[in-house]
Amino acid sequence: MNGSTVIRPAGQPRADLKSPWAALARIIIEALVVLGAAVPVYLLIKQALTPELESFAWPPRWLPHALTLAHLEGVFELAELRSALILSVAVAAVAAVAATALGTMLAYAMARRESLRQAGMAGVTAARLLPMIAVALPLTIVLINLGLYDSASGMGLALIHAALAIPTTALTTYGVFAAIPPEQEEAAFLDGASALRIFLAVDVPQAKAAIAASLVLSFIMSWDEFAFALLIQVTHRTLPPLLYYYTVFGDVGSASALALVMLVPALAVIIALRPMLKSGLVAGTQR
Amino acid sequence: MKSDSRRMSLTLWIFAGLPTLFVLAVLFAPAVQGMALSFEHGGAPVSNYAAVLRDKLFWRAVAGNLIIPAGSLVVEFIIGLALALTLSARNGRIAAIADVAAILPFAIPEIVLLAIARYIFMPRGYLNGALRLLGIGPLPWLIPRSALSFATVIVVDAWHVTPVVMLIIVAGLQTIPPELYEAARLDGAGTLATFRHITLPMLAPALLAALVLRGIDALRIFSTTLVLTGVEGVPVISTYAYHLWTDAQQPRMAMAASVLLALLIVVTALVGLLAMRRTTLLRTV
Repeated sequence: MNGSTVIRPAGQPRADLKSPWAALARIIIEALVVLGAAVPVYLLIKQALTPELESFAWPPRWLPHALTLAHLEGVFELAELRSALILSVAVAAVAAVAATALGTMLAYAMARRESLRQAGMAGVTAARLLPMIAVALPLTIVLINLGLYDSASGMGLALIHAALAIPTTALTTYGVFAAIPPEQEEAAFLDGASALRIFLAVDVPQAKAAIAASLVLSFIMSWDEFAFALLIQVTHRTLPPLLYYYTVFGDVGSASALALVMLVPALAVIIALRPMLKSGLVAGTQR
Repeated sequence: MKSDSRRMSLTLWIFAGLPTLFVLAVLFAPAVQGMALSFEHGGAPVSNYAAVLRDKLFWRAVAGNLIIPAGSLVVEFIIGLALALTLSARNGRIAAIADVAAILPFAIPEIVLLAIARYIFMPRGYLNGALRLLGIGPLPWLIPRSALSFATVIVVDAWHVTPVVMLIIVAGLQTIPPELYEAARLDGAGTLATFRHITLPMLAPALLAALVLRGIDALRIFSTTLVLTGVEGVPVISTYAYHLWTDAQQPRMAMAASVLLALLIVVTALVGLLAMRRTTLLRTV
């Protein structure tokens, strides 16, 4: 066994890497990871840009023979697809603003009182235990009574998406508030400022980046969400349930074009927010 | 100053209370209402729970709801661990590309990933096309009730969440002090010995926490089986309840099945939390 192939913690350069086998294994794994990510995305782009007949060819074609923009144009021109796009943006925008406002408040309270922090963490954990189906089915009855079931505005769905995203927005902003030293607030206190004013004038400006990340993350969570959207927006569909119907019953080209339109903002955001994502995910594993 | 801190306290309670009330109203209140519905008598000769427990499809859904999460957890933890060890140990441009690529399956919206998976695994899909070049197949990747369709669902489910497992393990690796590796190296310990005696034990708490979190999420599986195989193909409890609610028009039975799923999740979580407490106790002794 070669003692030089010790596994090192991240961030440390492996200056002592000598074994060619270890290097080879690493390159193979990295190549597989890149292929595994790139090939499916490539196939989706290919299907979105090729005529329908080509997508149904057997054996399947790996390279496009003829190119067309018809499917992509359809997403923005066909009434059904365009209204789903608009509804998805509206629902995600409302959900993101609500989840970020409420999540930021919760995070601030958790950062300033230990008892609230413990209660907040317990609540976040409890919310994870609920099977979505146990919430979604009875919720349709509640929304019918409120006149928000399958509404053209999508606001019933936006409420749910906001509630689902609050744990994420709270965990994303919590760290910043916890790091702000209390002395900064005390000075403002002595000047007679109200607690709300201190929060808005002292704390929020320092948490701007985390709040922006929360907005974008919760927007994408709503943008991606499928199960509740399927159950609640039955005729006024957002993009995910519409893509479901196109994938199962519709044509390959339109479904792929729709998938591509959903994919681009989601990829951009998650890749840009990778560092934030890590801290948010890891926060849930450390108690 | 005292009245100031009281004023502060009031603000903090409002700040914590508003989001809590909102989440309670939107998520927990309907769940309680659904639970009540599951005990309501629907005119049938037996209770909703008895009706569910007598349904053969329910027991197939239970089997699916145990086999798929278990299989998915095994796959995502083995691959997640391998990726974390490989990718965290390297710098440079290729590593950076691989780093982004490793996150990609998680960044792809779930329904988009499932749409791609359908095109790959369908009878005349890309996978059978690729196998044909090797003279194999075509294989029935998604044929209802086949063992192969379970394997396909497991692979697709694991594909989506492996990046999450990887990120948690990477964070766990970063907490291991480099001196331990230095000491192991000086003692002449090999790669495997170092992994067994340093990396794995030091990583155990992070692995267990990730296992509990992912296990809970895995039990809630819904979209993957619905989109890939439909309700009857590979049933799980969530899609079974969805089927009862929409197609079968049996809302009370649907809620009974959902409550049974909630019970399964809570029991699993309690076992997991107990195990976590035990390992942290062992580590502090």
